[in-house]
Amino acid sequence: MGILPDEIKPAMQGIIPSHVATCSLDGTPNVTALSQIYYVDADHVALSYQFFNKTIKNVRENPRALAWLVSPETFESWDLELEFEHSETSGPVFDAMDMQIEAIASMTGMKGIFKLKAADIYRVKSVEKNVGERIPLSQIDTRPGVA
Amino acid sequence: MIPDRVVEVIHGPAWLYAGTHDEKLRPAHTFAVGAVVHSDREHVTFFVPRSRSERILSDLTSNGKVALAVALASHEAYQLKGGYVSSRPTDEKDLTVQEIYRPKLFADGLRAGYPEQIIKPLALGFAYRPGVAITFRVQEVFLQTPGPDAGKKIV
Amino acid sequence: MTVEDEADVDLRGQIAENEKIIEKLNQELAKKSNDVRIIQQISSEITSTLDLDSILEIILRSMDKILGFQHVMVLLKGLAEEKLRVFASRGYANAGTGAAVHFGEGVIGVVAKRKKIMRVGNIGQSISYLLAVRAQMQEAGQLDAVQAPVKLPGLPNVESQLAIPLLVKDRLIGVLAVESSKSNAFDELDEVLLNIVANQAATAIDNARTYQMVEHLSRLKRFFSPQLAEAIVTGGADDPLKTHRREVTVVFLDLRGFTAFAETAEPEEVMGVLRDYHAEMGKLILEYEGTLERFTGDGMMIFFNDPVVLPNPAERAIRMAVTMRDRVRVLGVLWRKRGYDLAFGIGIAQGYATIGAIGFEGRWDYGAIGTVTNLAARLCGEAKGGQILVSSRVAGAVEEIVETEEVGTLTLKGFLRPIPAFNVLGLKAPSP
Repeated sequence: MGILPDEIKPAMQGIIPSHVATCSLDGTPNVTALSQIYYVDADHVALSYQFFNKTIKNVRENPRALAWLVSPETFESWDLELEFEHSETSGPVFDAMDMQIEAIASMTGMKGIFKLKAADIYRVKSVEKNVGERIPLSQIDTRPGVA
Repeated sequence: MIPDRVVEVIHGPAWLYAGTHDEKLRPAHTFAVGAVVHSDREHVTFFVPRSRSERILSDLTSNGKVALAVALASHEAYQLKGGYVSSRPTDEKDLTVQEIYRPKLFADGLRAGYPEQIIKPLALGFAYRPGVAITFRVQEVFLQTPGPDAGKKIV
Repeated sequence: MTVEDEADVDLRGQIAENEKIIEKLNQELAKKSNDVRIIQQISSEITSTLDLDSILEIILRSMDKILGFQHVMVLLKGLAEEKLRVFASRGYANAGTGAAVHFGEGVIGVVAKRKKIMRVGNIGQSISYLLAVRAQMQEAGQLDAVQAPVKLPGLPNVESQLAIPLLVKDRLIGVLAVESSKSNAFDELDEVLLNIVANQAATAIDNARTYQMVEHLSRLKRFFSPQLAEAIVTGGADDPLKTHRREVTVVFLDLRGFTAFAETAEPEEVMGVLRDYHAEMGKLILEYEGTLERFTGDGMMIFFNDPVVLPNPAERAIRMAVTMRDRVRVLGVLWRKRGYDLAFGIGIAQGYATIGAIGFEGRWDYGAIGTVTNLAARLCGEAKGGQILVSSRVAGAVEEIVETEEVGTLTLKGFLRPIPAFNVLGLKAPSP
């Protein structure tokens, strides 16, 4: 189908942290920052699972999630409605994420300690680019930001 | 009941993100610009741009549950969860808080090593008014700094 | 304006817009065709030479001047190890040639380990995130040992890296890597370009290295056993051609009466004798792990303890010599029947020699020089048929295992004082 546009890819490079909001079955929301959301294909993204946490727990009870990303090129933000599909511990997506983590872990003295447990695969249900919320760079210092 | 360090970070400034959900348990998310911890150290008011407030307010009036993530660019982070109390448009006092907050965010980002061409638009480039001031009563506080202890309840 | 006029304006506007788009697409197509053409040219250049340095130079120059990558490294895999070394680089203040990267270390090391391309654009961010996790774990006492971050060649404040494995079939030859201090500096098109360069480069480099190795191997096989030659070429042993001093046991041997025999016998007979003789001697040299430094027809020089250090070199030399004498005795029975008047003599000495490459460009040989080699040669010259003459040093080293008899002191050319010598009678019977 191809719901993710090409222009969102820079936002998935891990240059600006992304955020994901989830909700437990008993109705408690949870918000957390992520170092990176990984582009899998035009309909899927992946989140890395290193340590067990609320996000991981929530989506396994209630698969809906909301991801908020910011493009490091245009600084526009995107809202992605996601649905957790499954978790992978092997395969090309897992391997690509695992390779990155292995490389960075060795560069920070965390070899063997910081490891990818799984790649959580989400289907993208909707994509919305948020318009009208930017203050032009030229005006940042001079004008208070009117939404 | 909110620990000193968390109050410090919230006022410090912190990067703020709020999460809610609707009646179908679908999550919603917004960033906030500026927040204030009340003197009772139980209530927190955070400021959301009006353009992003509609869905949040709808959720809050429906079920009242809210999570507020507060983080420094150095990755030190906490999450506060609680129940919605009230909301109103931001006033002059709130705007003053925000005007003080924003350059501090910029400085925080620079300190953490972000290059200026990224941190300036990130800290100062999001429109923040008119805004909505949302107040909630904090029931739980969690550690959110990344690592195996993330999610640990501290209050 | 009428409705038709307005529609007209709309249409014209749309046509202009379309023309702009077509122009842009044409430019992109031209650029892509150009890129492909350039890469084809690079590929034909590097596959037309077997010189490794030239190939690397062409690759680096093209990556920089034509494809616009400012910081490039080529690392090649050590033949017998899970390690890469920087062989060539461009765009760095310090070339870093020879710097090592182990499999699994950093982007380059992981690419080598997994044999897959990897592109990262947020190294600074990722590192700071992970350092924060590490700090929290340390504070919480969750880290047992403090691991040092690994030291890697390349830009100190690298933000983006794109590394691709150089593969021939599925065999890893090395890694081609580009870097930038800007985040998100590389995109999918860069991956495509690198892929094409890497495919060509891998084959060209592999061929050049194989050629180098075969040359080197054939040179070494003249002196060393195949296993040792291979070990040297694959980097498992030190390069013996580098000049060094070592204490060695030297064995000289030859056939008395060979010169006269060679002059009078038929060529086929001479070759036949040499063939049988060399076959037997060669087997024993390999068996006892001696190094054959030279042979001239019937004469040979063998030494022990270089290039491979051995326990009890003197003992090995003696055992080999005794066995050689026995074998030649057997051959001698046949030779006597045919009327050949040939007898075997050996000289053995021990001492320090200077060892390494002797010769000149285009003709390097592995050789040993020193008093010890002269002594062994002279002892051999003095040995009568069937004798193994050894210096007192050697006799002392092997007195436990062989029976010897004194043959007195010998006045040898090149030696001021007469040298005491001993003849080896045979191996002592093993003690019960």
